[in-house]
Amino acid sequence: MRVVIIAALATAFLVPQEAFAEQALFYKEINLIGGYSDREHWIGKSAELMNSLGFEYYKKFSNDYGDFLTADLQMRMAYDSAEPRDDAWGLQIHNAWLQYKLNSAQRVKFGHFDVPFGLEQVLDTHGTLLQTLADANIGFKQDWGFALDGALPNFDYNAALQIGSGMSIYRKDGSFLATTRIGTPTGRNLQGGISLMYGKVLESIGMFTFPRAELVCDKTVLKKRVGLDGQYLFGPYLMKAELAYGKDENKNVIGYLYELDYTLPKLQNCELQAQFQSWQHDLNKRGSDDSTLSVGVAYKLNSQITLRAAVAHDFNLMEGGEDDKVLFQVYYFGR
Amino acid sequence: MIKSSFRFIISAGKKILSVLIISITLLMVLMRLSYAAVGCSLSDPDRDVKRLFPESTGYRTDFITVKDTGGEALYKKIEQELGDKLDNIYETIDVPYAFYGILKGKEVIGYIHGVNQKGEYGSLQLIIATDLKGKILNFYYQRMSSPEAGKFMDKNFTDQFIGLTLEDFVKGNVSVSDPSKNSRVDFQATLRGIKKNLILLNELKKITQE
Repeated sequence: MRVVIIAALATAFLVPQEAFAEQALFYKEINLIGGYSDREHWIGKSAELMNSLGFEYYKKFSNDYGDFLTADLQMRMAYDSAEPRDDAWGLQIHNAWLQYKLNSAQRVKFGHFDVPFGLEQVLDTHGTLLQTLADANIGFKQDWGFALDGALPNFDYNAALQIGSGMSIYRKDGSFLATTRIGTPTGRNLQGGISLMYGKVLESIGMFTFPRAELVCDKTVLKKRVGLDGQYLFGPYLMKAELAYGKDENKNVIGYLYELDYTLPKLQNCELQAQFQSWQHDLNKRGSDDSTLSVGVAYKLNSQITLRAAVAHDFNLMEGGEDDKVLFQVYYFGR
Repeated sequence: MIKSSFRFIISAGKKILSVLIISITLLMVLMRLSYAAVGCSLSDPDRDVKRLFPESTGYRTDFITVKDTGGEALYKKIEQELGDKLDNIYETIDVPYAFYGILKGKEVIGYIHGVNQKGEYGSLQLIIATDLKGKILNFYYQRMSSPEAGKFMDKNFTDQFIGLTLEDFVKGNVSVSDPSKNSRVDFQATLRGIKKNLILLNELKKITQE
């Protein structure tokens, strides 16, 4: 299996650019990450990112009457430094979808794609150290299924029915995930959205698609949510915020995130970031929250390579105690 | 205790050094092979096309780079026409620009194209819709980071670009005034960005159509 994956990735890296038509884009990706945590000492991963090698292939299909189909395949061969060496390598499929255009206001999508809930739907966090609430809220950022989405003059809508297992494919205990988000168009300086979620979700350990990430248990967790999110761009400042409230089975849960990004006017390839996010797993139980303050910097070295660093303080981990962490990342994304 | 700590530090140091060496090697190899990553595409082409060309029935997206179209010579020609150096991060020779050919039935009736342009506080995204001869039919900001963004994005300002062509920019026939009080840099960036957009449309689409 591993040999097949490595061969596929190697082939992808060696294919000459000329092999692709002008309606396609092919990007290579390398993510190198490492750091130090008070609790775990030397670390080679963050909550969402591992050292990895991958690619993205994006293609538009058209006929005489225009574009009618879009395809995206984005995958990584990743190394999970927290696992024993024999189990450390795995394939992560992030995007694997086909989107068919029904008309100018409606599209239908099949495959593995972002769960339309909260900020994650409108941000690209694929390679960033700072993440949204998605992982704490749902358990994953993307899932397998189908969606109907589109853009009307004053708002975007997106509704999805997915299988509720995230990166890997499982169908157990009637798992499913139904989500919808309605938001303002993404081109505006002030944007907002409201999201709803209802589903029976499987919780897994790890982020591999192949071999499949292990499940915490075979039982699903019933999740109900309502969420609000917003962004505001003002001069060099970009503010992001989101809030999610609902239930995990019988427990009331709430989570919120606030982030402020600042682009240095004199050095615009450098951005400073500060984020606070908190997720309370049981509103009736004191100390059941995970709360983290992160301060980071992203420096675009050239058009392909971005260097990132972040310092994070966990005020209260769910399992108790505090933690300080520093992470460094070299991220390459280029054609 | 001290001995084991020392061993731990040495072992961690070796790991970090190995990762660094492999990383730098990989990056150097890739930088030799690499192409640039980002152009400026429409945030929602279906809605934007319908708004800018209500009579359209579809559109076709093409990704075109200066490198593939005319190489270094074309890159230099674009700099000459622009009268300015292109940015070595955001305006590299291999940026894949997304061109939207607007269709009515099978017939192409116009184009939409966007560019990123460095402004005073961050990137601006300038989108123009043109007819087949490159005359601006519509202009808007998809992203505007100025503190006076509202003034720039107001139709009273953006509509002043309607009817202009690349020739008007080259000959200095553009008489649009700065709508801002303290954002002269963003105004100049807008003029540069629209001129760049028209040059790219002319150079890349013209060659592609031949």
